Amino acid sequence: MNNRIKEFRARIGITQEELAKMVNVRRETIVFLEKNKYNPSLKLAHDLATVFSTTIEELFVFEK
Amino acid sequence: MLFISNFVLELFNIKNMKRYWIIFLVVALVVVSTAFLFFSSGFEPSKTDYVHFGIIGFLVAAAAFIAIKKMKNMRRGEPQEDELSKKLMQKASSLSYFVSLYIWVVILYLKDRVSMDTEELIGSGILAMGVVWVISMAFYYFRGIRNE
Repeated sequence: MNNRIKEFRARIGITQEELAKMVNVRRETIVFLEKNKYNPSLKLAHDLATVFSTTIEELFVFEK
Repeated sequence: MLFISNFVLELFNIKNMKRYWIIFLVVALVVVSTAFLFFSSGFEPSKTDYVHFGIIGFLVAAAAFIAIKKMKNMRRGEPQEDELSKKLMQKASSLSYFVSLYIWVVILYLKDRVSMDTEELIGSGILAMGVVWVISMAFYYFRGIRNE
C-alpha cells in the first residue's frame, strides 16, 4: 500500500509537524508514513483524509 | 478515609506523570547502583565485569536517548506515544522475547562449560536480553512496519 500524503500536504502547504499535531501523532509517524514505512490504522487514515478533505481511497493507493 | 483518598490521588498522579521522568529515574538508579558497586571497597573487577559495565553503559545510553526523544515530543506539543511507537514497542518486544529464549538455552548449555559464576551467567543473560531488545527496536525502526 502506497500513499499520497506528501503530495496532499504540499498541496495545502503545511509542515510535517503541523500535520502531526492536527491528527494527534508524533512528527516521526508522519515521516514513516511519507516514506511508506508504516501502514496507519483505519482511524489515523480517516483523520488524515479528513484533514486533506479527501477520501481514504484517494489518499492511499492499494496494490493488488 | 482521607488516607485512602490521598493514596488514590497519588496513584492518579503517578499514572499521569511524564513518562520520560520515569525513564530518567530508572537510568539514574542504574548509574548510581553501578557506580556504587564499582567504587565500593574490596571490589576487584574482572574482564567479565568490564564487559558488563560496557553493556550497562550502552543500555543506559539507549534508555536516555528514548527519554530525550519523548521529552522533545512533549515540548513540541506532540504526544509522547502514538500508534507507531506502540506498535514498534510491541514488535520489538515480541522479537526480543523470542530471541531471549534461545539466549537462555545457550546459557544453559554453557553453564557447565565455562568458568563463570552462576551470578555472572545470570547477569550476562539479563544484559543480553536488554541488548537484544535495543537491537530489535533499531531493526524495526530502520526497516519500518508494513503490511504485517
